Amino acid sequence: MSTFLISAVQLALCLVPMAMGIFITMKVFGIPDITTDGSYTLGATVTAVMMSNHMPIWMVMPMSMAAGAISGSITGFIHTKFNIDALLSGILVMTALYSVNLIIMGRSNIPLIDIETLFQFISISEDQNINALFVTVLLVLTLYFLLIYLLKTDFGISMRATGNNPIMTKSLGVNNDKIKIIGLAMSNALTAMSGFLVAQYQGFADINMGIGIVITGLGSVLIADALKKAFRIQKIGYQLLFLIIGSLMFQQVLAITLSLGTDPALLKMVTASFVLIIVALPGIHKRYSKN
Amino acid sequence: MIAIKQLTKTYNIGEENEVVALSALDLEVKEGDFVMIVGSNGSGKSTLMNLLLGVTKPTSGKILVDGNDISGLAQHRRSKWISMVFQNPSNGTASELTILENFRLASLRTQAKGLKIGMDAKFREKVIELVSTLGMGLEKKLDQPMGSLSGGQRQALTLLMGVIDDTKILLMDEPTSALDPRSSEIIIKLAEKINLEKGITILFVTHSMKDALQYGNRLLMFHSGKITKDIKADEKKRLTLSNLYDWF
Repeated sequence: MSTFLISAVQLALCLVPMAMGIFITMKVFGIPDITTDGSYTLGATVTAVMMSNHMPIWMVMPMSMAAGAISGSITGFIHTKFNIDALLSGILVMTALYSVNLIIMGRSNIPLIDIETLFQFISISEDQNINALFVTVLLVLTLYFLLIYLLKTDFGISMRATGNNPIMTKSLGVNNDKIKIIGLAMSNALTAMSGFLVAQYQGFADINMGIGIVITGLGSVLIADALKKAFRIQKIGYQLLFLIIGSLMFQQVLAITLSLGTDPALLKMVTASFVLIIVALPGIHKRYSKN
Repeated sequence: MIAIKQLTKTYNIGEENEVVALSALDLEVKEGDFVMIVGSNGSGKSTLMNLLLGVTKPTSGKILVDGNDISGLAQHRRSKWISMVFQNPSNGTASELTILENFRLASLRTQAKGLKIGMDAKFREKVIELVSTLGMGLEKKLDQPMGSLSGGQRQALTLLMGVIDDTKILLMDEPTSALDPRSSEIIIKLAEKINLEKGITILFVTHSMKDALQYGNRLLMFHSGKITKDIKADEKKRLTLSNLYDWF
């Protein structure tokens, strides 16, 4: 496998936690959460600040995830307690997080040069890229099985039911507001985890690294949704597997686009166009199959 | 069991379209009663159901269940005493969850929803036993999404979900209005069976005078936010359809 391809696969895997987070908000709760852009950068900034201060990695990951969870729970609190639209709540928190991230970093960019990252913890090959990939795969697999377990627990059933039919869950003793806040906290903790991973993958944290990142996660979720419909599969395990495949496909398309010599400045436009195609295709297919 | 004292609900207070949906209502319902509730549209039947369930808060007055004042309690906290079968079969179940998952959630109504997988073999057996009493063959479809079932099937399952644990009060707000006659009959007979076997108190809102006459041990007729007729036990048995239509 070429280094180029391995890098694309690894970036895709680093972004899987965020896709899982967006899956929780979008598909489980039906909430469009824009906090993602801010909490992703927050995860990266907390990581960069702590790592550049030589804090141990076992402390950095939970701290960055906790920061993401706090931002998600604030969005959830604003949405449920003040009855403010979820989209607007997310935009408000995301906007505020820009300042928070700047305050945490103290500048707009923190490089992580000559600092041992999570990807250097296991050595199964002489090639550092393979080692990094191995660590990321392990992490993603752990998350995958944890999330499957969670969604099958009594709490997970309550979460899924709240998104599906809040009228019913209220009558069955579920505190919908509380469960939404927890869900948004979980989602943004996962997003921050992606920030934690990507900051180490690219070797720096930047104040603007989260701009439009929600579209990347959304793209993975939409690909997963299309695969779910195509294979007519409802099982949670398969849905999350499709999510990982979706993330891989998404990054591969971007990598191929860049390898074809596309101006990097156009990358965000390519991303948006790709998501547009995924969203529009089912409708176009329906229209023409009717005619 | 249920004591309602001077319960009033006014919508749009102080505005041009102010509506008194329920006016200083007093009502006592004994444990094990099967109360049929009839009345024209806008007479206050559904408002009473919503106030009991906690969907809306009263303007004034109190609702006591077993001596506990639940008037100010959030809806999810009332599930300790109250279950609901909605008019729309879709409202009572989660379509994307399997039948078994729906039952699991219902069984946890009064408990914490923790981080354990509760759908073990024992629980499955319990649900199979319960669902097979319907005679619809649904016990073989426990792993199917609820959304794949008909309205009648979903409503019957909602009713069973309502009584899977130790609920005390079952509210049924026109649960048969969206169903075909055969499904309607199944639902109301099932409600009667649950009332007789488990002694659960049932408040059943219906537009069917025939059902109101045939089922239950008490009949309430609502008009303009008030109870205009309260007919109990023996007196109810002597009622005729023409009596009901005359009073309506």
